[in-house]
Amino acid sequence: MLRDERLSQYALLIVALALVAAYLFPVYWMYVTALKTGNEITAWPPTFWPANPDFAAAEVWQRMQMATYLKNSAIIAVGVTVIVVVLGTGCGYALARVRSRWMDVVLFSILMMQVLPSSLMITPIFVAFSQVGLLDYPRSAVILAQAAKVLPFYVVLTRATFVQVPKELEEAALVDGNTRIGAFLSINVPLARNGILVAALLIFLQSLGEYVYSRSLIQNRALQPATVGLQSFMGPNTSDWQGVMTYAAIYVTPIILFFVLLQRQIVSGLTSGALK
Amino acid sequence: MTIRTILAGTTALIAGPAFAQEQVELDLWTIDDPGEYHYVMAEEYMAANPNVTINLRTVQFQDMVNDLARSIATGDAPDITYIDNPEVALFASRGMLMDLSPYIAESDVVNVDDIFPGPLASVTYEDGIYGLPRGANTIALYYNADLFRAAGLDPDAPPTTWDALYETAQTLTNPDENIYGIAFSAKNSEEGTFQFLPWVQMTGGNFDNIATDGAERALNLWKQMIDERLASPDTLIRSQWDSTGTFNAGSAAMVISGPWEIPRMSQDADFDWRVALLPVPEEGAERASALGEGDNVILANTDQPDAAFAFLEFLYGDMDRVWNDFGYLPASNVEVVDPKYPEAYAVFEESMKYARTRGPSPEWPRISGAIQTAIQSALTGQQTPADALAEAQDTISDVVN
Amino acid sequence: MPATSSSFRDGRGFDRMLVWITLTFLIVFSAFPLAYNILMSFQSVDLFTLASFDRPFVGLDNYKEVLTNSATDIIVKNTIVFVLLSVAAQLVIGFGLALFFQQRFPGATWLRGLFLAGWILPGLVVGAVWSWILAGDFGVLNWVLQTLGLTDDKIFWLSDPTNSLYSVIIANVWIGVPFNMILLSVGLSAIPDDVYEAAELDGAGRVWRFLTITLPLMRAQLGAVISLGIIFTLQQFDLFAALTQGGPSNGSNVMQYWSWELSFQDYRIGQGSAVSVLMIIVVIGVAAIYVRSTRHEHAA
Repeated sequence: MLRDERLSQYALLIVALALVAAYLFPVYWMYVTALKTGNEITAWPPTFWPANPDFAAAEVWQRMQMATYLKNSAIIAVGVTVIVVVLGTGCGYALARVRSRWMDVVLFSILMMQVLPSSLMITPIFVAFSQVGLLDYPRSAVILAQAAKVLPFYVVLTRATFVQVPKELEEAALVDGNTRIGAFLSINVPLARNGILVAALLIFLQSLGEYVYSRSLIQNRALQPATVGLQSFMGPNTSDWQGVMTYAAIYVTPIILFFVLLQRQIVSGLTSGALK
Repeated sequence: MTIRTILAGTTALIAGPAFAQEQVELDLWTIDDPGEYHYVMAEEYMAANPNVTINLRTVQFQDMVNDLARSIATGDAPDITYIDNPEVALFASRGMLMDLSPYIAESDVVNVDDIFPGPLASVTYEDGIYGLPRGANTIALYYNADLFRAAGLDPDAPPTTWDALYETAQTLTNPDENIYGIAFSAKNSEEGTFQFLPWVQMTGGNFDNIATDGAERALNLWKQMIDERLASPDTLIRSQWDSTGTFNAGSAAMVISGPWEIPRMSQDADFDWRVALLPVPEEGAERASALGEGDNVILANTDQPDAAFAFLEFLYGDMDRVWNDFGYLPASNVEVVDPKYPEAYAVFEESMKYARTRGPSPEWPRISGAIQTAIQSALTGQQTPADALAEAQDTISDVVN
Repeated sequence: MPATSSSFRDGRGFDRMLVWITLTFLIVFSAFPLAYNILMSFQSVDLFTLASFDRPFVGLDNYKEVLTNSATDIIVKNTIVFVLLSVAAQLVIGFGLALFFQQRFPGATWLRGLFLAGWILPGLVVGAVWSWILAGDFGVLNWVLQTLGLTDDKIFWLSDPTNSLYSVIIANVWIGVPFNMILLSVGLSAIPDDVYEAAELDGAGRVWRFLTITLPLMRAQLGAVISLGIIFTLQQFDLFAALTQGGPSNGSNVMQYWSWELSFQDYRIGQGSAVSVLMIIVVIGVAAIYVRSTRHEHAA
């Protein structure tokens, strides 16, 4: 009996490994392409490991001054995440708790606000920001615009999480004399922490990849994030694909490592649902 | 008086104009990255003119028109910028650019007669001259001489007519070895128009007269080469740079592209590569080629017109360096001493004589869009070349008139 | 329990305040650009009047131009196919993976986390990588298909108008799977084990348990994931720019890309805005359905 369970567990593990390998193939391809020289990239049959791995990482890091770019990406992503979590968590909670026509209208309007792609929103935003002088603080301008872009997404996600938190616990806390805000912070937020954490994480990662707003709102190279730096590789006559992929690899590797090392803290919370 | 101001004074005397004493700041937008043309030239200029500070900003090529228009609208425009040559008319027609003619008339450096007709046409709008070319480029036929020999062709006699080009491509195509006879770009972007228009111009047509027999013949030939797999179907989505990448890798025996390819080609292509003029419809037919590269222009609302023109003059004055230092062809009649890649240079230099500007028309983007649509819908078989070109002609006639 | 209900009544202001904080921020930063787009769709706008409000109104002309354009039919059809196929495939694969990784085996949590890689890569990079994988002449996908004997000839994924839309869908599904999977995992793990155990004691089979317990309890998550999935898919722009540019010959063009093309490549900004307004109308429909569905959702 126990042995059977073991066996089936390993069978599951093997299937899981195959699934992960298939899914991560494009990521692998990014790394391999980063090691190939121009001609090998277009070779047929394609090579799964470069004949002469060509590490361009140090050169690309230097040439593109990537340290600055990555620092700016991090500043923008952290700024966006903080604003979104602070402004949006309560809204997700209220929308989950209160049932009324009025709240339906609110939820509806929030969804509406994120309908257009950034590429169509940027022109009015640029015009408005330049009128009120926000363009003088370009990174803050991007943080505000991107926060507005992802806030509806965050609200809808956290709302779905708060729906799953039992009302009874909060009601009991209120009977015990807690204030609404006290009950919200001490009961609801801790119970919904997994959902909040995951939503915040998704927002953070998405903001790390933000490109359209940064490109238009930040003119000073020293303040631009890594995506804008990456795009500068990809002009019509200068596309150096090995460089592009090397850059992308340098950019993505720390984030992937961060995940692999902090798996336990970040993702394992998912399996042990807060409500068990 | 410090040494620095004395130096500034002397350079000012050398550089000429008297405004040089006061501190001047110029904003310059470019498509270059640090280490390339505008950055290098600005460094040199600032070193020679300490009173001038040039603030550079890199804008992506494909974003330049939009960013520039938006910045003009909100009052954040630079003093000087790079513009791709077919877009000059768009900005000049709206009064966004400064007419340089009065300055050129006074200038000892710029003489309009020295500028080649193609580049000159690209900066001319109605009676004004709205920019100075920073250089030029054009396209020609690269070919792999080793593959010519292997296929029993004479590497010293590359194809000179369209028929010969087709036959040569047929001979060189070798599906077993994954070799296409020819590569070019029919991409749904300005590059597609850039590559196709010379074929039309060789047969007497032009952007405003596109539904001609010659244009139909050209488009049919393109289609035939793709349908018969003499060229990759991915020609429809590949840029010139990516198409040339397949040539360098030995997967295509010929490629149509420009001189910007040479540095990479000389590194990546481990075979005997050569360049020839674009083939013509038949022996003795008129030649034509594309005109690429952009212009340095001054925005109409600059508050430093004199300083801005002085910098443009400096850029123009160094035209003889652009081939060896930056890989552009000179856009004016200068002597290039000891050119790099001398054989290729000779071909491209000759090709420049036939290079024609696209347009000029303030509505160029829409004209070019119509041409790209025609190319793509004919090559994918959705329309016959004749129908596709007729439809493009309708759109273009609407726009032009 | 009068005490509870009265404190809830007293607390109304608290809920309202929470909602208004978010709404105010969005009205300032999102509603304005939206309204600006709507305004421009009724005006004649070119590149140089983008920032001025003083532009001639042209009524519905932009809409007429857009709707009578010969490309409209195929672009609308492509948009529908793109959204439906992308969302369906993302959901099915994402839900399947979420259920699979919900089982207990060594490394389950750890391996599941790796799927987030698809979310980490910036859109520009994803587009570039897929353009290599899908390349006709040297793409690794063609090599795999040929080696496995599934196809004889190379498939020109990106340059054949009958394939190009599906190529973008493949890449888009790849991007969307982690999002679906992680959110549905959160929902799954919030379902108390005892609910399942009770059902198991009653002799309910796996499929039955999934249909009668899992799905109803996941209603809120599914509603959120599907409606956000549709909105995300309608916003997908980077992939089109990187893979096909909507081509060849509009074969893979969709409304969001077309709107941008009209505005910023052809400089017919009024028409581009009109297309974006038509998209807003679609999203109004999606949002309305989502909001309605939340009324019936299971509240624990």
